[in-house]
Amino acid sequence: MKINVTINGQAHEADVEPRLLLVHLIRDVVGLTGTHVGCETSICGACTVHLNGRAVKSCTVLAVQANGAEVTTIEGLANNGQLHAVQEGFWECHGLQCGYCTPGMIMASCALLKDNPNPSEGEIRHGLEGNLCRCTGYQNIVESVKYAANKLQGA
Amino acid sequence: MQKFEYANATTIQQAVALLGNTWGEAEVLAGGTDLLALMKDYVVAPKRLVNIKDIKELKGITMTANGLRLGSLVTFEEVLDNAAIKRSYPAIWQAVAGVTSPQIRNMGTVGGDLCQRPRCWYYRAGYGILAKDENGKALVPDGDNRYHAILGNEGEAKYVNPSSLAPALISLMAKIKVAGPKGSREIAADQFFVTPKSDNEREYALAPNEIVTDILIPSASGVKTATYEVRQREVLDWPLATASVALKLDGKTVKSAKIALGHVAPVPVDSDAAAKALVGKAVTEDTAEAAGAAAVANARALSRNAYKIQLAKVAVKRAILQAAG
Amino acid sequence: MSTNQTQIVGQSIQRKEGRDKVTGAMRYVDDLLFPEMWFGATVRSPIARGRIRSIEFTGNLPWHEFTIVTAKDISGQNCTALILDDQPCLADKFVNHAEEPVVLLAHPDKYLLEEARRAVKIDIEPLPALFTMDDALNQTEIIWGDDNVFKTFLVEKGNVDDVWASADFIVEGEYETGAQEQLYIEPNGMIAMANADDGVTVWGSLQCPYYVHKALLKLFGLPPDKVRVIQAATGGGFGGKEEYPSMIAGHAALLAWKAGKPVKLIYDRAEDMAATTKRHPSRTRHRTAVNKDGKLLAMDIEFVIDGGAYATLSSVVLSRGTIHAAGPYACDNVRVRSKAVATNHPPHGAFRGFGAPQSIFALERHLNKVAATVGLRPEELRRRNFLHEGQTTATGQVIREKLDLDGLLTRALELSDYHAKKERFAEHNATNATQKKGIGFATFLHGAGFTGSGERFLESVVGIEATATGNVCILVASTEIGQGTNTILSQIAAEALRLDYEMIELAQPDTANVPNSGPTVASRTCMIVGKLVESAALGLKQTLVQSGLLTDDYSLDEWRQACAIYIAEHGALKSFSKYEAPPNIFWNDETYQGDAYGAYAWAVYVAEVTVNLVTYETRVDDFVALQEVGKVINPVLAAGQIEGGVAQAIGYALYENVVWDNGTMRNNQMTNYIMPTSEDLPPIRVFFEENPYTYGPSGAKGIGELPMDGPAPAILNAIESAIGVRVNCIPLLPETLMKVMNA
Repeated sequence: MKINVTINGQAHEADVEPRLLLVHLIRDVVGLTGTHVGCETSICGACTVHLNGRAVKSCTVLAVQANGAEVTTIEGLANNGQLHAVQEGFWECHGLQCGYCTPGMIMASCALLKDNPNPSEGEIRHGLEGNLCRCTGYQNIVESVKYAANKLQGA
Repeated sequence: MQKFEYANATTIQQAVALLGNTWGEAEVLAGGTDLLALMKDYVVAPKRLVNIKDIKELKGITMTANGLRLGSLVTFEEVLDNAAIKRSYPAIWQAVAGVTSPQIRNMGTVGGDLCQRPRCWYYRAGYGILAKDENGKALVPDGDNRYHAILGNEGEAKYVNPSSLAPALISLMAKIKVAGPKGSREIAADQFFVTPKSDNEREYALAPNEIVTDILIPSASGVKTATYEVRQREVLDWPLATASVALKLDGKTVKSAKIALGHVAPVPVDSDAAAKALVGKAVTEDTAEAAGAAAVANARALSRNAYKIQLAKVAVKRAILQAAG
Repeated sequence: MSTNQTQIVGQSIQRKEGRDKVTGAMRYVDDLLFPEMWFGATVRSPIARGRIRSIEFTGNLPWHEFTIVTAKDISGQNCTALILDDQPCLADKFVNHAEEPVVLLAHPDKYLLEEARRAVKIDIEPLPALFTMDDALNQTEIIWGDDNVFKTFLVEKGNVDDVWASADFIVEGEYETGAQEQLYIEPNGMIAMANADDGVTVWGSLQCPYYVHKALLKLFGLPPDKVRVIQAATGGGFGGKEEYPSMIAGHAALLAWKAGKPVKLIYDRAEDMAATTKRHPSRTRHRTAVNKDGKLLAMDIEFVIDGGAYATLSSVVLSRGTIHAAGPYACDNVRVRSKAVATNHPPHGAFRGFGAPQSIFALERHLNKVAATVGLRPEELRRRNFLHEGQTTATGQVIREKLDLDGLLTRALELSDYHAKKERFAEHNATNATQKKGIGFATFLHGAGFTGSGERFLESVVGIEATATGNVCILVASTEIGQGTNTILSQIAAEALRLDYEMIELAQPDTANVPNSGPTVASRTCMIVGKLVESAALGLKQTLVQSGLLTDDYSLDEWRQACAIYIAEHGALKSFSKYEAPPNIFWNDETYQGDAYGAYAWAVYVAEVTVNLVTYETRVDDFVALQEVGKVINPVLAAGQIEGGVAQAIGYALYENVVWDNGTMRNNQMTNYIMPTSEDLPPIRVFFEENPYTYGPSGAKGIGELPMDGPAPAILNAIESAIGVRVNCIPLLPETLMKVMNA
C-alpha cells in the first residue's frame, strides 16, 4: 500500500505491506532508530512517538494507520542541535541510565507537559504510567520532568 | 504477523460489506491496541483487516437531556477530557480513567473496549478461548487460574471479560447499537456479552459482519453512579475486579439499584442479588458490605483464585460508598 | 573548565554518553544494519524434559531458502562454555527444560521466518521432570549428575553443635524467595558475521565480552584471534546479560557461518522472558542459639537454590549467597550448609545481588523473630551482635577497616524518623481496622568484586592511551550497561591525571582492541577496574615524567605538549595495569575460610508500609537507604544506582511473580509480569557515608548490587510490624497475604 507520512516535518512516501508496524516504518524504512521496541505489547512505552500531536505506542499501530498523519520521534525534538528542555532535563538530572526507555520516556514527558505545564510530583508519576524504566527507580526521571517544566515555563 | 489485506472503509455499509460471514475471516481495526498484539502472536490471523477509523458517523460524543451517545470510535482520552461526562456519568468517566496509560487512551476506542478479547494467558498462548490443549484437555482447572473467573465458571469458559466500560454500561442500562448488512439494531448492554461454547464463537452478541456503531446511555439525572476497580498495581495491568453501581435514592434510602461486576466472570455480571440487598436501605458501611457479600454469594473459586472473591466484594462495597458520596 | 585543579571525583558530572541517549543517536544492536543481512530465529522445546524423536519442517514453506542449523552443524564442542560446559548450545537427543533451543533458522524475510519458526515441529517423548527443590533433593528422578546437585558448600566457624544445650533460646525459621526476571527494557540480541577465512565476529547486547569470546572459541574450535566480540550499546543487564548472551552469540554465529551472510538474532519480549535466565529461587532454614541478653551464640543455616536444568553460574551464585548468609554479625559459631540443585526449569542465572538477596532476606527476617523471642527490639538485638573492627565474619575474615554499624543504624533510624513513627503507627493501627501502618528495617553488607580467589584468577588488565592532542582513551572490556561505567571511569582517569573530564573517552568494548578487564559483574567495575584505571593513568603520567617531558606539577598545556612530543618520538603513549591482590588477603577455596571479599559496603535500609486488610495490598510509603560505600565518585549517579536497585527489590518483594506451569513461564509478557511503575514506587531517599577504602579508586567500593539485598526483608519486617503476622516468603502478593491471614 502506498502511504504518506510526515515524520519530524519531512514528508515520506512509502509502499508498505499492511502488516508493517509504525515502529518498523520509522526504524527500518525511514531509518530513525531512536524509537525502540521493548515489549511489543504496548506496555513498556519505549516505542512512544507522537501521532498528530498525541503520544501513542508505535508497536501497536500499523504504518497504514498513520497514512496522512504527522509523526514526531525523538530525533525530531532537538532544534538545530539545541536540545529540547525535556532532553536537557533527562541528561542534566540523570533521568536515564541504560537509555533504552529514554526516547519513549522523553516523548511521553513532552506530551505530559503539553497538557499540564506545571505538574506536581504525583501528576508526573501518573502521567508516565505508560512508560517502564528498570534502571532508575523513576526518582531522577521525575526530577528531569520538573527541571523541564521549570525551564519551559521560564522561557 | 500473518499477511492480510487491508481495507479502508469510509461508511458503515462499506465496512460491513467487507466483513465476512464467518468469524476469523476478517477483523475490525479501530485503535488496534489489543488486536495487533493478538495478530503478532498469531492468536488472531485474519485474511482481511477492515479499518473503520475513517467512518465519520462512528465518531463524536453527544449529550442531551435524554442521555449520552458515544460513537464507537470515541477514544478514552476524549471521554476523559469531557467534563460533562465526568459530572453526569461518573461511573463511565471513572471506568475510562482506569484504562491505563495516556498512549493507550489516545488510541483505544470505546467500541474496541467492548470487543477486546480476554486476557487469559492460555488464550493468548494459542490454546483457544476455552483453553484446551491438543488432546482437548481443559487447561484452566488444573493450571494457573489465579486471574480466572469466580462467577459463571461452571461451563467451559473460565476467562474473565476484560472490558473496562461494560459494568458501567450495564449499571446505567445502556444500549449498544450495532450495524450489519440489514441495518442496525440495539442490544441491551447486559445482553451484549455472551459465553461462547466453542472456539468458533465470540464473547459478544455480534454477527461476524456486524460492527458496534454507538453506545447509547439513558440520562442519569438523579442517579448516583460510580465505578471502582481493584488491581494489583496502580497502573498498567488489568483490574482484578471492578464494580459499577447506579443508585436512585429517596432521601437516604435506596429506591433502586443496578450493580454490575467486571473481570470476575466470562461476561460482566449484573448482580440482582447485590441490588436487592441494598434496596430499601440507607447506604452505610454495613449495607454496602452486605451488598458486596450478596454479589459474591454464589461465587465459586477455582484452585488459585479464592482471593478474587474478596476483591469483588470490596469492589462492590467501595463502588456503592463512592456513588452515595 | 580550563583549570586542572578541579576535583572531578565526587561531583555529579553529566553522563558521558548522555547526549546520544536523549537524542536517540545511541546505537543498540537492533539499530545496526549490515549489507545482505539475514534474520535468525530459535525453535525451542515445548516441554520440560524428554527425548527428541524427530524434527519436522511442516507447512507450505520454501524450506530450501532457509538456513537451518541443528546440533549436527556445530564444528567445535556443543556447549555454551562457562564453568562446567554442561549446557549444550543446541539440544541434541534430549531436552532438559522448556524453551531449550533445538533448531535455528535464518532467512532474509522476517515475516516468513516467523511463520517458519512456528512450522517446525519437534516431536519429543516426555520424560518425568522435576520442578521443586525438594523433589530434586529427594532424587525422585535423577536429572543431573549422580544426585541432582550442582554444588555444595560448607562454611564452619567454631562448632554450632556444642552450643545448643547451653542456649537460653533456640529459634528456628524457614524462608523462601521466588524467581525474578531481570526485565532489562532492551531484549537480548546479537549480530554475527562468520566464515572460515575471517573467523567469527559478533556485535551484541552484553555485559561480558570475554565470556562470549570464550564460549565462541569452544563452539567453533577457533584460535583466539579468530573470534571477535564487540559490545553494542546495551539497554540494561542486571546480570541478565552476563552469561546468556554467549548462547545467543553462538546461535547467531552458527547461522551466519552456514548462511554465509551476516545474521541478526533479536529476541522478542515473550521469548526473552520465557527462555533466558532469572534469579534463583531459594529456601533458607535457620536455627539460631541465643542467650537471654540477645547475644547470638550459634547460627546454623541451610541454604538451597534452584539452579534449573544446567549448572551455568549456580555454583558462584550459591557461593555469594552462602558467604552473605550470616550477615554483618559477629557470632563465634556459624555453620552454613548450602546446595544448588537441578530442576527442569530453564537455568537460573546472574541477577544483581547474585545469591545475597536470597540469604540476606532469610537472615534479616529471622533476626526479627530472634529479637521477638528474646524480648528485645529488633534494633537492639542487632546492636548487640554487630561486627566491629578486629572481629571476624563467618568465613573468619578479620574486619580491618573502620566499621561503625551502630552509628549507621542510629543515623538510618533518625533519617526515617523510625521511633516516632513506630509510636504513631501503633496509635493509628489501634483505631483503624483496615489500614495498618508499619515500619521495618534491614541491616546488611555486600562484598564487592569476585568472591575469594576470583579476582586473582581473573588477572584483569586495563589499558589507557593518550593521543597527540593530549586526550586520553581508556581501554577496558568493562561495559556501560546503564550503571555509569563510562562516566565514573572517565572521572577516575581525569582525577588521576588532573585533566578535564571532556578529555577522557572510552574505547568501545571490542575484544580485538581492549584488554580483558574482567566481566562487568559483581559490583567490581568501580572498585577493581576503577583502581586499575587509576593506576594505569598514573603509569601514563609516570612515563612522561620519566622521559623528562613533564614535572609532577603541570598545566593542561604542558600535558598536551608532553603527549605530542612523546608520541612524535615513540609512536604511541600507552600504559597498562594488571590486577594485584591487596596484601594480607588470604582465601582458602577448600575450607571456604578467609577473606571472602576485599571490601564490603555496609547498609541499613528502612521501609514504611501501609497494608490494606480489605484488599491485602501493601504499599511502600517511604524508603530510606543509607550506606557506607567508601567514597562516592559521582553522587547523583551513585544515588541512581541505589534508587534503581531499591525499585527492583520492591518489585522482588511485592509484585514480581514468575508463574511456572510445568516448567514453562506462564506470564512471559510485560502485560502480566508485574514490575513497578512510577506510580507504584515511593520517593526513595538515598544517603551515603564515606569511609575511604585503601585499595579502591579514591577510596571507592562497589555499590551496584548492594541495594538489591535490603529492601525485601525491610519491607516484610515493616509488614510484620503493621499487622503482627509473620510472612516469610516473597514475592508477597495480596492473595498470599490473604491466605496467611485467614489461615
